[in-house]
Amino acid sequence: MAVKPECIAMLLAGGQGSRLGILTKNIAKPAVPYGGKYRIIDFPLSNCVNSGIYTVGVLTQYQPLELNDYIGNGQPWDLDRANGGVHILSPYQQIKGTEWYKGTANAIYQNINFIERYDPEYVLILSGDHIYKMDYSKMLDFHKEKNADCTIAMLEVPWEEASRFGLMIVNDDGSISEFEEKPKNPRSNKASMGVYIFNWKKLRKYLIEDEAKEGSGNDFGHDVIPAMHNAGERMFAYQFDGYWKDVGTISSLWDANLDLLNPKVDLDLNDDSWKIYSRTPVAPPHYVGANARVENSMVTEGCEIEGSIDFSVLFANVTVEEGAEVKYSIVMPGTVIKKGAVVQYSIVAENAVIEEGAVVGESPENMADIKDWGVAVIGNGVTIGKGAKIAPDTMTDSDVGGAE
Amino acid sequence: MSVKNVLGIIFSNAYDEVLPELTALRTMGSIPFAARYRLIDFPLSNMVNAGIPQVGVITKSNYRSLMDHIGTGKPWDLSRKRDGMTLLPPFDTPSTGLNHGKADALYGSISYITKSGKDHVLLTDCNVVCNMDYEKLIKAHISKDADVTIAYAKGNPPSIENGTELILDENGKVVETGVIDCLSGNVNYSLKIMVIRRTLLERLLHEAHSAQIDDFETIIAKNVKHLRIYGYEEAGFVRVLSSLQAYYDISMELLKADFRKALFTPERPVYTKTSDRVPSVYGIGANVKNSLIADGCNIHGEVENSILFRGVTVEKGAKIKNSIVMQNGFVGENSTLQCVIIDKSAVVKPGKMLCGAENYPVYIGKGIVI
Repeated sequence: MAVKPECIAMLLAGGQGSRLGILTKNIAKPAVPYGGKYRIIDFPLSNCVNSGIYTVGVLTQYQPLELNDYIGNGQPWDLDRANGGVHILSPYQQIKGTEWYKGTANAIYQNINFIERYDPEYVLILSGDHIYKMDYSKMLDFHKEKNADCTIAMLEVPWEEASRFGLMIVNDDGSISEFEEKPKNPRSNKASMGVYIFNWKKLRKYLIEDEAKEGSGNDFGHDVIPAMHNAGERMFAYQFDGYWKDVGTISSLWDANLDLLNPKVDLDLNDDSWKIYSRTPVAPPHYVGANARVENSMVTEGCEIEGSIDFSVLFANVTVEEGAEVKYSIVMPGTVIKKGAVVQYSIVAENAVIEEGAVVGESPENMADIKDWGVAVIGNGVTIGKGAKIAPDTMTDSDVGGAE
Repeated sequence: MSVKNVLGIIFSNAYDEVLPELTALRTMGSIPFAARYRLIDFPLSNMVNAGIPQVGVITKSNYRSLMDHIGTGKPWDLSRKRDGMTLLPPFDTPSTGLNHGKADALYGSISYITKSGKDHVLLTDCNVVCNMDYEKLIKAHISKDADVTIAYAKGNPPSIENGTELILDENGKVVETGVIDCLSGNVNYSLKIMVIRRTLLERLLHEAHSAQIDDFETIIAKNVKHLRIYGYEEAGFVRVLSSLQAYYDISMELLKADFRKALFTPERPVYTKTSDRVPSVYGIGANVKNSLIADGCNIHGEVENSILFRGVTVEKGAKIKNSIVMQNGFVGENSTLQCVIIDKSAVVKPGKMLCGAENYPVYIGKGIVI
């Protein structure tokens, strides 16, 4: 080994993201498209390279085909390196038998050999579920400065939402005095972001102990971190200020996309000093036709727009024909929206076809009961027939015939 | 015999002089075109799409922007251990010059050509914009057992100095070449894209070198009677950049669906270096009609019949009509552009007005602030 990396990252990308329903039927959650040309995993990967971490293990398990293909040799993120780079780590057969990754901690445990090859001082544990821009090197500086064994990134969430998160009660010096997992009556609004830095030697010891412990869920949040805390290890919380969003549900995915159109939201993807890299499709510039109208939207390469677009995010190679309307929607790559069709308050997955005059989704203002409202979702490759109507708050996974 | 046995050679500097404005700081090959490409992307992609495994890019001067663009050839899948892309800068020894003409340039790279070991060499410039199936050209060359096959188009020739007219017999064999002058009407004009037997190319280059002929076309013309030279008609969309006006006109043609679809077909994609920019953002009040727009733009004003390259900012109240704004251009609040070509990173401050005419576009140089 040439230069020994001080810190390597392990990215947990095996999750199914079941709350995203049909969007994750064939792909893992980190591979879900976001923001016109990205996938969720682009954020932690780009954060790594922008923070100077060039050795990244990506742990995959659920529907890894598309994710593995997307990451490839890591070239779009400058992670095709002779020394380090990105490595896909899937569960593998061992002499004692084959095991799936049982939990987040077990996934790392099964890859101890991988980490040992690099023999790093520190290990950064990440998940592929969030949209945020974060300088991990600053967190590492904090970790070293506090002489910590484990540092957990946290951010202050609104009190009314606090009970949905894993919370920490933090002392004045930044050390953690107590953990609370999704409490009914929160005593803190400092939520864990699922980003951890460990001293590798310590973590290794606890992973082995945790694996031996019967009845352990082999999970960082539930098992390993509490064990370290109870044993009196130095646990610190590192405060992050900035945009951070879990895109685990349809409505949060929809929100997070539309956040890009809100100038008040603190998520600037146009920042040359902190680029978010992605594997981009080969497509010509997008074309906006003579009768088109595009306002307050994001449009990327390969799109051909003749209709009207408002408050929407269009991915590559989307076609919107004349007279079609797209409002408050996310339209993923390759989808065609034909003449006179209306797509509103919806997420349309890749390569779907919305035939002429079809109406997908509904505006919340037109609902008799707002409780029935929600984002309509159209699955991959689905065709919605001529004049068909798709109700709000539904998921459509197979073709829908035209209305007579 | 397959396309695998062909070496591609691209002249990145040929015809620099016809576009002095755009080539002042770069080569013909690195001129920005079609909102997110450089001219070299077209011949390079054509070669890759035809399966040509090895490409040499001949340069002469001002080629830093070109090197920056093509790098190791990765976006074209030409960063390889076997074959792949090589940049061929002038090879300055007492017996070679600084690439005064094409023959001279090729002579300077003759060892590269020989070492390639390929049976045929495909030569092209960068000022021909087309999505051409080179595989068909190569197959025609091989099936006719030709020494040289020259691609040509029918019609009014581009107004470019030293254009070559091909006079063909009924079998498509070139019997004579003529020089195109301003009076030439409907002719078969050479696109200067040709396939030639490698060993023959080497022989001709040695002869030209000893006879001190710089120009490659002259050597071919001299040998019309002795060689089996065939014409190959390219009937698809082909445009030759012969002046700033032609650059403007051809760019504006991209707004027509048929030309755009012919140039950007999914079967033969055009590859380019990616820049990892965000998708373009349209603000409230943005009004864009009939325009071609790359990623990374921020549009809050009016844009009509125009082409915006990557990272262009159009502020509120700005009006851009029939214009081309290259990478990172900035058009300030309430300014107006009509028939203007704005080179990279130029700034039009708020409230300014620039007007050209469709037959006389105004050109604003790289980085200029108005």
